[in-house]
Formats: sequence, structure tokens, C-alpha cells
Amino acid sequence: MPTTQTAPATHGGKRHHWIVRVTHWVNVVALTLMVATGLRIFNAYPAFARKGERFCCYPFEGREIPSALTFGGWLAGARNWHFAVMWMLVINACVYLGFIYLHGEWRDLVPRRGDLRDSWEMLKFYAFARKDHPIQGKHNALQKGAYFAMPIVGLIAVLTGLAIWKPVELSLLTNLFGGYVWARYWHFLAMLALVVLTVVHVFMVFAVDPYSLRSMITGGYNESKSPEHRNARPLWWKKAGVGLKVDGLSPNPTPRTPDRNG
Amino acid sequence: MVDRRRFIEISGASLTAAFLSACDSMGPAGAKKFLAYAEKKNEGVERFLLRHTSMDHARKSAKIAGRAFPSYFISDTMPMWDTATDGEWTLQVDGAVKKPVRLTLDQLAALPRRSQVVNHYCVEGWNAVAKWTGTRMSDLARLVQPTSDAQYVDFASFDSDYHESWDMESALHPQTLIAYAMDGRWLGVNHGAPARLHSPVKLGYKNTKYLVRITFMSERNGGYWSDRGYEWFAGT
Repeated sequence: MPTTQTAPATHGGKRHHWIVRVTHWVNVVALTLMVATGLRIFNAYPAFARKGERFCCYPFEGREIPSALTFGGWLAGARNWHFAVMWMLVINACVYLGFIYLHGEWRDLVPRRGDLRDSWEMLKFYAFARKDHPIQGKHNALQKGAYFAMPIVGLIAVLTGLAIWKPVELSLLTNLFGGYVWARYWHFLAMLALVVLTVVHVFMVFAVDPYSLRSMITGGYNESKSPEHRNARPLWWKKAGVGLKVDGLSPNPTPRTPDRNG
Repeated sequence: MVDRRRFIEISGASLTAAFLSACDSMGPAGAKKFLAYAEKKNEGVERFLLRHTSMDHARKSAKIAGRAFPSYFISDTMPMWDTATDGEWTLQVDGAVKKPVRLTLDQLAALPRRSQVVNHYCVEGWNAVAKWTGTRMSDLARLVQPTSDAQYVDFASFDSDYHESWDMESALHPQTLIAYAMDGRWLGVNHGAPARLHSPVKLGYKNTKYLVRITFMSERNGGYWSDRGYEWFAGT
């Protein structure tokens, strides 16, 4: 049993506060644009080596990213978008982080003692090495890890981005990342990590908890359809609501669940 | 009937379609205003960050690029100053100054000399290290004495109509050189001989090669790449 559960944050029966929902979708747009324009910028020099040198750690030096994954049309176009949307991303992140800090939602996301063990139990469950879905709060331990990592990787992306935008004026920052070449590399890897986190996140939404899509749009969520209740593994669960009342009139969850957020 | 669920499905599908069709395009025309606004704001941030005390240093481990240092020009053929047809090369420094001058290469080289091993930051994302030798732009400014309304400096070339204008503060940065030597040799024709502008505080394209004229101005006058969509300030 998780023993550190805090009082559930409820927003008139909504699973996600409207600020969280709006910033989530703004983030979808901003992050997509940042990645696509960033890849177009990268294609102007799809390598990391300083001229006259070799770079140790990128196996695809000189190979362009397929242009279908890019946005901006040409280098200048992509740069103009990148340097405009970066503010959208940063302001949006500040609104989101400021809100979850002031409103208490951060408690659902910060790592706690036992999260590692709980993550292991989740992995065992997904691998059919455990029969029942582990007991969880608003999110399971793996989700918590991913959602906590996202802003941290985002922060690294922003700092490395500043380091390669202003390698002279912010040379302290650039040197902190090992100089211009390495800062550019870390910026690329941070982008890659964000993409991986996002792809896994989107896959899991559809493969485990498609009912949560609604909770990020209207805010509504039926706890009786939660993965915990359906004992849902990725792509492996029975349709919810069989024998249960559906939508709105959520039946009392089974006693083993700490009831959260209607 | 379009209920809420259907509406969300339709919106999602059309948004996705818009995104897909936008791929590798330059984006909607209406976005131009937004982008221009952001560039203006970014210039403010860049000017705020600019310090004459922040210096670029090539990393100790970095190699001099040498022959790997890329070069380009915009004319059909490599621009070369031919004294037989063009006369002696001179650098004209004029505009909003009290004492305009016209310097020969010998006169330029006789001015206080400065060498620095610094990065060249290309807009494309690569950097290259070279040792540049030349006259500090700030020394040249001391010579011609800009008037108080001089806020910008234009650097023009004999490579077709290539030129780029700078803000005064970046032009007077101590690492901004009128360079006539690279890696200890006179500048090669591919790198802008007889003299070029070089500074680590601006992206490569702002550093006019094949220099012939420096004009102090009260208004900015854009530049070759700046007029073609690249940001005008382009500081590092």
C-alpha cells in the first residue's frame, strides 16, 4: 500500500484542472514545432564535428533527417520559427509548473520512497509476471517517473538551447556543457529524449488507458474505467464498463483503490 | 448531428491534416507577423546580453580548422581584386564620421595589430577555429571618429552586392577585427582577400568578406542574407 497518499486534489470532479489541460495541448503544438524546426536547422549541418575534426559519438554524421519530419522550409524559415516558438514553450512551461506548484498537483508527480519498487511491480505486471495491477494513486509509478522526467529533460533542452544560441555571451553556460559542439549534442539528445517520452506516452494512452484522452480534453474521467480497475496491460484488457454502470455515475470503486479525483 | 465526441474527432483530424500538409513548408503567411514580432523581441534580448567583456575563446582541445575551414561567395566566380583592372585595393571608411579615411592594405596593416584564436559560428550549426590577425574595428573607429548619431555600421564587399550592417555595440566589440591574415598567412582569395570582417560575436554571414567599404550610419540598411529572411542581429 502506498502510505504517503496526500489528500486528492479535486477540481469540481475534473481529473485535470483546465490550466493543466490547456498547457498540455499548447505544449503538444509548441513541442512539435520545436522538434520539426530543430530538425530542419540540424539538416543544414547534420553532424556535430568541429570543422577539421571528427566527432566520437554520433553514428550518422552527415546524414540528413527526412524532410517530411521537418518544418520551416529552409534554414532561415526554420530558425525564425524555432526562435519564436521557444518563447511559447518556455512561457507555457512556466504557467504549467507555476500552477502545479501553487495548486498542489506536484504531489502527484514528485518521486517518493518506494517508487522504484512500484515501478518494478508495474513492469512485472506488464510482463505478465504479476497477476494484479499494482495499487496506485492518480498515476502509476512508471507514469509518475515519465511525467516528472519531462520537465527536467525540457529544462536541459532549454539550457543547452541557450548555450548554442549564445555561445559567447553565455559562455559560462556553454562551457558547463563542454563547449559549443557538446552543447549542441546535448541539445539534440534532450530533443531525442523528449520525443521518446512523448511517443511512449501517446502509445500508452491508446494501448492502456484510452479513456484518459477525454480527461485531458474535457477533464472528465470515469475511475471505474481506470487501468487499475480494468487490470489493463498495454493492448491487453477487456472493454470497460461490462456489468458496471458507465459514464458519470461512477460506481464505488472496489475497496482496494484509494479513491482519487472522481 | 455533430455531437461533442464527433466534433473533437473532426477537429483532431483536421489539425493533424494541417500539420502534415505544413511539413517542410514555410508555414502560413499569417505567421509572418508573429515571427517578425518574435525576431524584434529576440533582438532586444540579444542586445541586452551583449557585453564587450564577454570573450570567445577556442577550447584548448580544439584544432585549427585550416583547409577544412569552409568558404563561399555569392558571385558566379570567386571574387578577386585585380590591381591591373581595379587599381590598388583600398578600404573606404566613411559615413557618419568626422574623419573619413581611405586605407591601402599597407596602411591598414600598419594600424595596431591584434591576433586571436577564436571560433567562427556558422548559421548552419558548425563552428571552426582559426587564428585571425587584423585591426580592431574599435581602433579603426577611433581613427575616423564616428559622430553621435552613428548607431549602425555597414560592411560592403566587392563580391557582387554582398554587405551586412551591424549594430554599433557589436562592431566595437574588442574581438571584432578587420582581418587581413588567417592562421599566420595573408588572407586567401577564398576567405575574402585582401581584407574581411571577422568576429566571434556574430554568426558567419554577418562577417563580410572581400571588404571594400565601411559606412557608419544612423539607420540600419539590412544586408544580403538579412534581406533574404535570416535574422538581422544574429549575435552569439
